[in-house]
This record gives sequence, structure tokens and C-alpha cells, in this order.
Amino acid sequence: MAENYILECSGISKAFGGTQALKDVELHVRAGEVLALLGENGAGKSTLMKAVIGLHQPDSGTMTFEGKPYSAHSPVDAMKAGIAMIHQELNPEPYLTIAESIFLNREDTNGLILNKKKTNQRAQEILDRFDFPYPATTPMSRLSLAQMQMIEIIRAVSCDARLIIMDEPTSSLDSEETEHLFATIRDLKSKGVAIIYISHRMEEIFEICDSVAVFRDGTYVGSRSMDGVTREELITMMVGRTVSNVFPKVEVPIGDVVFKAENLCGDGFENISFEVHAGEMLGLTGLVGSGRSETMRAIFGLDKLKSGRMWLNGEEIRIKNPTDAIDKGICMVNEDRKNYGLCLFRSIRENISLPNLRKKQKGLLLNQKKEKEDCTSMAKLLTVKAGSIEHNAYSLSGGNQQKVVLAKWAMADPKLLILDEPTRGVDVGAKSEIHTLMCEFARQGKAIILISSELPEVMGMSDRLLIYHEGRLAGEVSRAEILKGEATQETILAKEFGQ
Amino acid sequence: MKKLLVLSGAAVLAMSMAVCAESAGDVNGDGIIKVGYISKNLTDPFHGPINAHAEETFDQLVADGVIDEWTGVLDGQTMADVQINAANDCITLGCDYVFIAPCEAEASDPAVTQMADAGIKVVVFNSMTTSTEEVAWVFSGSDDVYAGTLLGQWVLDNCPDGGKYIHCNGILGNSAQIQRTEGMHSVMDEHEEFEMVADEDTQWSGEKAATAAENALAQYGEELVAIICDNDDMSSAAQSACNAQGRNDVICIGVDGNQTPLEMVKAGELGATVLQDGVGQLQAGIDAMVADINGEPQEQEAGNIFMVPFVLVTAENVDEYLK
Amino acid sequence: MGNKSNDKILGIDRETFRNFMGKYGVSVVMVIMIIAIALYKPVFLKPANIINVITQISINAMLAFGMCLCITIGGIDLTVGAQIALVSVISAKCIVEFGMPIILGAIIGIAVATVFGALNGFLIARFNMFPFVVTLSMQLVIRGAAQVISGGKAITVGNDVKNIYYGKFLGVAIPIWLTIIVFVIMYIMFHWTKLGRYILAVGGNAHAAVASGIKEFNIRLICHTISGFLAGIGAIIMLAKTGSGQSNLGVGYETDAVAAAVIGGTSFAGGIATMPGVMIGIFIIGFIYNGINMIGINANWQSIIRGLVIIGTVMLDSAINGKSRK
Repeated sequence: MAENYILECSGISKAFGGTQALKDVELHVRAGEVLALLGENGAGKSTLMKAVIGLHQPDSGTMTFEGKPYSAHSPVDAMKAGIAMIHQELNPEPYLTIAESIFLNREDTNGLILNKKKTNQRAQEILDRFDFPYPATTPMSRLSLAQMQMIEIIRAVSCDARLIIMDEPTSSLDSEETEHLFATIRDLKSKGVAIIYISHRMEEIFEICDSVAVFRDGTYVGSRSMDGVTREELITMMVGRTVSNVFPKVEVPIGDVVFKAENLCGDGFENISFEVHAGEMLGLTGLVGSGRSETMRAIFGLDKLKSGRMWLNGEEIRIKNPTDAIDKGICMVNEDRKNYGLCLFRSIRENISLPNLRKKQKGLLLNQKKEKEDCTSMAKLLTVKAGSIEHNAYSLSGGNQQKVVLAKWAMADPKLLILDEPTRGVDVGAKSEIHTLMCEFARQGKAIILISSELPEVMGMSDRLLIYHEGRLAGEVSRAEILKGEATQETILAKEFGQ
Repeated sequence: MKKLLVLSGAAVLAMSMAVCAESAGDVNGDGIIKVGYISKNLTDPFHGPINAHAEETFDQLVADGVIDEWTGVLDGQTMADVQINAANDCITLGCDYVFIAPCEAEASDPAVTQMADAGIKVVVFNSMTTSTEEVAWVFSGSDDVYAGTLLGQWVLDNCPDGGKYIHCNGILGNSAQIQRTEGMHSVMDEHEEFEMVADEDTQWSGEKAATAAENALAQYGEELVAIICDNDDMSSAAQSACNAQGRNDVICIGVDGNQTPLEMVKAGELGATVLQDGVGQLQAGIDAMVADINGEPQEQEAGNIFMVPFVLVTAENVDEYLK
Repeated sequence: MGNKSNDKILGIDRETFRNFMGKYGVSVVMVIMIIAIALYKPVFLKPANIINVITQISINAMLAFGMCLCITIGGIDLTVGAQIALVSVISAKCIVEFGMPIILGAIIGIAVATVFGALNGFLIARFNMFPFVVTLSMQLVIRGAAQVISGGKAITVGNDVKNIYYGKFLGVAIPIWLTIIVFVIMYIMFHWTKLGRYILAVGGNAHAAVASGIKEFNIRLICHTISGFLAGIGAIIMLAKTGSGQSNLGVGYETDAVAAAVIGGTSFAGGIATMPGVMIGIFIIGFIYNGINMIGINANWQSIIRGLVIIGTVMLDSAINGKSRK
């Protein structure tokens, strides 16, 4: 049995301060298989993977790689042994070329002088093997996120990695790019490379993985072969309870038109017109770069609107910057939480109250008592899990950070709430809580626009769905059509691709 | 037992008070003689040897028991307000005598007046502040106007036919710059055969003076006969610039007697330099203090001002001053 | 990973402990420093000396509070030293040569500094230029203006002006009053008003701040304007202290201001600062200067000691806090 395993971990424990992040955990990976790691945020998946690639040193336990005892003190050690990790957030050096990026720290040299020609040549050979559409001398900054990720994978393969760990590799890819990634994974698998695949997206796990290991609260729950296991069974293993309804959509009566846009044009979108009503959840879907986020950024005043008219509650409005938008009652949860959502090194309280300080004035000063009370109750209402609202946002998990962002806009009490990828990088439990919150906002009569790359999510939550294709609206689907099965993932995807 | 302790304690106190009453140098009556030393800065080549001399001499005076303590060299950083802070610190430390080389005539003046107000005998050396003559205990320095006349005279002596010359200033507004310039003009302006063709703002900087010299050579060529500088960092740099263009005949002269110009005089590359005896200035102040501590009557010039003469250093006497 | 918030240090919740030490850790460093100097030279603790130090730090205090704001929004203000020269010259000229009342001369000087501060902020925010480059260049312009106006000469002011530094109000030196007043105002502004919150937000994450409806341009402009205004006040104190307005005052003063802000916990990454921290940083810088004179450290070593003490203070603080400071 043991001879099949390329990586075996047993009895791994790791504590940070007083928190036991991993408790006597085991993991077995076969050569040439794709193993999914499943678990909510904080279940211990990332800690275990960091221990494998040498970013953490386990307190106890043993690891063997290819039958030999293995330990790593840094990712460089792991790479030398044959283990590479593709991180969720890529940090490319935008000014390096593809070749330089692949061979970073392993450049060909003549003595001290770099031999760029040889490096480029070697890089090109590898790129050709992967049918990569750009030459090796292209700067990284020209590549899309998916292509950068591909370069990371190519880099790992070029280092002769026999085990590649992928952390949420599809989180910023659209459907087409995801398909391409899966093709690459299958190709690697056929060459005997083992892959550990971390994802929150159940559909993907069923599509690409051979087996799955489930973690909960720092413990190893068990492994299953993907054949014969059901989604419900996995979710039960993961959360220790049965999540009956994946999308807790509550239908509320739909009221008058709150926001109306006519012929909006800007960078990346053209002639966008739509209406959204009170209590309505309007879903926007389309491939990454199809113009959905760009439209919303322009409405919110983050980007420039070239032309077009907008009305809020029947009154025509002009928005030059987010300050105007917030004043009028339009708020937006940005897809890029780290850059546009939070000041990570400030407290939860300060983050929640940031756009709402004008309402917390007592004369010239802030009413800090009221601020504290309001933020505490808002954080509680939105079930933000933190010891105190004085803690830094940085100390929270992704799901809780997202709840802080929602809390700040909930406090602003907007008329129109734009949610761009509100559940990206959020674990299953928090995801469902955020969905419930969205329904609650709708019940309060707010108009909601929801953007998501996860088709099941927009389909499950929206009352109406607008489909983007290359910067224009390519179709509209109602909830009734979805419920009746007249519109399916396949038909919507077809429209996204412009068919 | 307790009584005895108190008694003996009182006796010791009385004795020590008696001792200090005898010592003329304990100005503030705290039982020890403490000397403060506030430098102009620690980086200027002119002040380096002076600070070193202070360190050596005061350490020796402590070892000999003439004074009890000294503060060490306090860094004035060529900033007036830093000197004022140091003066305040000297007051706190209970200094009896404080030596100060002011960096600014105006802006450093509060340092001197405050210490004088606190009853400290202030020895101002090297250059004066505005109220030095009224409040300082001793000033020992040199007459920069006289140094300026030496500059002018050297040019007259070596260049009897006259011609065009340029003047390189120190930082404008500095008392040495003002007085040396004044002395220089008092000599040169009486000789119509000399014409000052440029008055450069060279800010004591040798590098800027060299640039000025090169410009003047390019502009006036053979007509340029002399470069008169407010210090000899500038004159030596200007001379080097002239020599480099084969114009060893241009007479460059300045004031201070820094190491580089002295070496150039010895090597015959520079005709002369006017030596300001900074160490001598400090020593004159120290001598006055030691005499005061020993209760000797002061050999005073008017208003406790000691003037240390400038010396014209040429190839003949350079060995006396070159260390 | 895991529930970080469950960790405890000394029976206190970890995050709470961290926030507390982040705010007050540097004061522990200051106390250690005071004890060390006092053990070596008891005279250091004499009330006269402590009052001395508090008076001496007033100029750096003005610069450091402004510097703290500029660093907090992710920038820097290198013009403060030159502002001292310019304001001292302009105010001295107004008072001495044009015979204006002292208060009017001072206000004109401070107004000029404020305008230059606003200009810094405008250039940085409007044209998206690096604060380092803008203020490095403006510093030359400002000191040059001081030279042009003064003609390189010192302008001596009378005792009435000097009284701003040497005089007392209710038995306390006026510079100490000024430091206290400015500290209190800065504290209230920074910690009790929305402006302070906006400054921290823009520094912490400018994109997120803009997306929360904050006008980044205004905040940058305001911070640099305040820095200029405070440098103007510092300059008036300097003018009173030295009794002379001249173009070579305040050379290199930005260094001590930056050091005080950084010691006080201001992060160069932006978005992290507290006013009490900066105040303590200002004290520490004052104690370093005073302590070196008190102890009588060998002249040539003083500069090295000063540098090492600053680095040591920041290191000790981060060791106590268990956080990395950049």
C-alpha cells in the first residue's frame, strides 16, 4: 500500500501561541493523482501545505517524500526535493520577461554575466511544450492572471516538481481559462505528477479530482475516492452538519425602480442600459473582462464614465467619485477586498465606520461611544467572528473580512448595493451567511446588484440575470426561467461566449 | 551613635565648605570646580586640532587637580540652537567655567548671555558673539580685520604692478567673513592699480573657490593676478586650480593655517597663508582660567580680551607650524 | 490560521495586548532610557534639567507632529528644516526692518510656511509625484528663498521676540505651553475627529479609502499644509531662541523629526501612528541629546551613539511589541 504514496504525512501537529492549528494530522498522496483538500477556512489545509513546503516547521510528526524522510526549511528546500506550490495570489515581477520569471534564481550565466540568449531558448522550448501563446521574451505585465498562473505551473514543471500544490487556482479565472487549466492538470497527471488541489468550488473538485481529503478545525476527518461520494456527504464531513440549502434565497416583493442606467459607456463597456428595483437582486454574469465589473466601478465613481445617464429614485444623478456615490446612497463591495475593501492594519471598528463618520459627529468631534456601540452591534448582526472590534482586520479570516466590508456598507444604509464577487475566497459556512445577509438587505427594500464568476451562485441568488459579452449586454434571464429549467448553466454560458 | 553620625556628617560638611570657600575657582560654590566646553563642531579641519587640544589640556588639568571635572567636548554641530541647548546643559551640570566657540555671531549669543546670567564665567574664544564684550568673562580670539589687511598686503608685496583680482567670500553674514573682507578692502581699495573683478559667494568651500578660479582664468586670462580668499581651504583650492592650468604666478592667499595649505606652502605650491592660531586662542583662555583658580591677578587687556596674533606663514617659517 | 484571538499574553487577550503595546510600548523604552541615564548621572533627573529638555524639544516637536502626518499618509516632508530658515528670515525682517508688531510678523512667517506646505501637498496629490522628490526639491527652493530675502545676512531681533522662547506664562516656559497646546490639538484632531480617521485610512490603503468615499487629494493636501504650518511655529520658536533670523538655521532638522516620528511608532508603510507615541519619540530624541551631554561621551563618538540609540530604540520597541516595523 505504502509504496504507491509519493507524499506521506503522519502525526503532524502545529501550534501558534495557544492555538492548535493542526492536531495529529495525516495525509497520503499517490503519484499521478489529483487530491482535493477540502475544509472551511481555518480548518488547517493551508497550515499543512505551508508545513509541506517549509514555510512552517511542524511541532511533531513525520513526512516522507518518494519513500525517503523529508523535511523542508524553506520553499527553496521543497523545490529542490521536487515539491512546488502555486499560491492563490500571484506576485509576479511585472518587469521580468517570461523567461526571466521561469528561470528566476536559476539563470544561465557565463561566469558572472547572464546568458540571456540561452535562458530564452530554454524557456521557449518549455513554453512550446505547453502550447503557450506568447514568446519567452514577453514581459510578465502583458499576461493575464491565468497566463501568469500557467507560467508558475510551467516554472514548477521546469524545476522537475513531482508534486504541485495549487491553492484556489481558479479563483480569478473565467470558465474558459479554468477549462484550459484543467487540461493542463490532466496532462501533468498523465506524466505522473501528483497534484494537491485546494478549492472551495465543489463542482471543480468533482470534475478534476481523483480523491479528496477533508479537514475540520485542525483535524483530519478522512479521505474518500471521488467515485461514489456525494456533495452532501462531503459538506457534512467538512462542516460537521448538514447544509441543506446551498443558496438560501428568500424571495421578497419587488418594488419600484430604484436605479436606472441608460447607455452607459466607458473603458471596457458600451451602451449598457438596465433598471434595478427595490428588493430586487440583479445578477450580472459574463467572462472575466467582459465589462461587468468595469460598469459597476464606473457607476460607483472609481473609474470614468464616458457617457450615459443615471437616475436614482427617479432623480437624475451625476457621480464624479465614490464620495458622490456614497452621498447619494450607492455603495459597492469591490471584488478586490485587499486593495479596495479594507485597511487591513486598522481595527474592525475603524473599517466599519470609515464611510459613516459623518453620521457619528458630535460637533467637531467624533462620538466615539456611539461609534463603538453601533459598530459592535453591526458586527454582531453580521456575525463577524472576532475577539473584539478593536482587533486589526488583518487578524480575521477571509470570510470575516468580507463581513466587515458588508458591515460598513450596511451601516451606510444604501439605496443601491453593488456586490462584486462578495463570496470570493470565502469558506462554505461564511458564504452561506453572506447569502443570507444579501437576502436580508433585499428584504429591507435595498436594490442589489450581484456579480459573481460562479454561475451557480448568481443563478441561485438573482431575481433577474443580465449576461455580458465583450462589453455589451447579450441577454437577460429571469428567475422563473431558471426555476423552470428553461435557462441552464449551459445556455447562459453559451451567451457569455457570444453564441 | 546616631548623634555621632550626624555630628561627624556636619563636620565633614563644614570642612568641605571651608575648603571650597578657599578655592577661588568654585564660582557657584557647589564644592567642585567644573569646566564646560562647547565646540563649534566636530567636523571642521580648523576646529579639529582645537578640540583635540581641549581634550588633552582639560584631562591634564583634572589629573593635576587644578579642576575637578569637565564635560568633555560638547558638539555644537555648527548650529546656534544646539549650542544654546549645550549651554543650558552646562548650567544644569553646575559648570563654573564654560569655554565656547560660537558658530554664529547673532544666533549663538543667547548661549553666552544665558550662561553669564547663571553666574558662569564664560570664556568665548575664536569668534565673538554680539554681547560677548559686555557679558563674557574672557574673550580670546584674533582680530579678523587685521588678518584681512595681511591678505591685502601680501598681494601688494608680491604683485607691485597691480592687475585684476577676485575675492572669494566665506558664508555671507559670518563675522569672520565680514571682518576679513573689511580688512582686505581697507588695504586694496587704496591702490587703484588693482581692480576687483568678481566677488564670489563661495561659502568657505574649497570646491566652489576652485570653480570660481577656473571661471576667472577663462574670462580674464593673463590679466588675473590674484585670488584673495576669506579662508585658506579656498585659497589652496584656488591655487591648485591655477597651478593645474600652469598659472603658478597667480597669487592666492587666505586665512586659517589648515593642514593642506601649510603643506602646499612647504612644497612651494602656495606662496603664503595667514595662520589663525586657534589652539593659541583656546590656550589663552585656559591660561586665564588657571590664573583665576590660583587666585593670581589677571594680566588684562582691555575688557578681558585676549588677542592672539595672526601669523603670515611663508616657506621660511612654515616648519614651525606644520605638524 | 486558527482562532488567533484566543491567544493570551500575561492573561490579556493577544490582540488587545498587541494594540496596547503598539500604543504604549515605546514609553517603556523611554523609561528604561531615563533610568539608565539617571543611574549614571543623577543630575539628569534634577527638575531644572527636565524642564530644560522639555523646553529644548519644542522645535523638534512642531516638526515631528507634522512629519508624522506626512509619513502616515505614506509620504515624507523634507522641507521642514528649510521652512525654519525661511520663516525666521521673513518674520525677523517684518519685525525688525518693517517695524511690524511681533504677532503680525510671526503670523506672516507662519502663513508663508503654510502656503509652501500646501504647495508641497498640491504637487504630490495633483500630479501624483513622489513626496520624497517633491519635498527634496522644494527644500532647495525654500532655503534659496531664505537666502535671497536675507541676502545671506543675519537679522537680529530684540529681547521682546526672544521672550517667546525665554519668557514664562504662569511659571511655565512659553515653548512648553506651545508644545502642550499643539500636542492636545493634534491628539484631538488625530484620534477624536473624522479627519484623523481619514488620514489613517488614506495611509493604510488609499484605494480602500477612496472606495469608502474619502477624497484622497484633500487629505494629502491637508497633511502637508499642517506640516508647513507647524514648521512655521517651530521656526518662530527657533527665531526667539537664537534671536536671529538667518538662512542657515535648521539645516538637517528633518532628520530628528523623522527619527522622533518613527521611534513613536509611525510606520513608513503608512496608516499606523499615534500622537502620544510621537510625543514620546520627541522626548526620546531630546533625552538622547541631553543625555550625551550629561554623560560627556567622547566627542567623535557622539554621532555614532545617536544613530545607534535610535536604531536600538526602534528595535527594542518592536521586540516588546512582537511586531515588525517598516
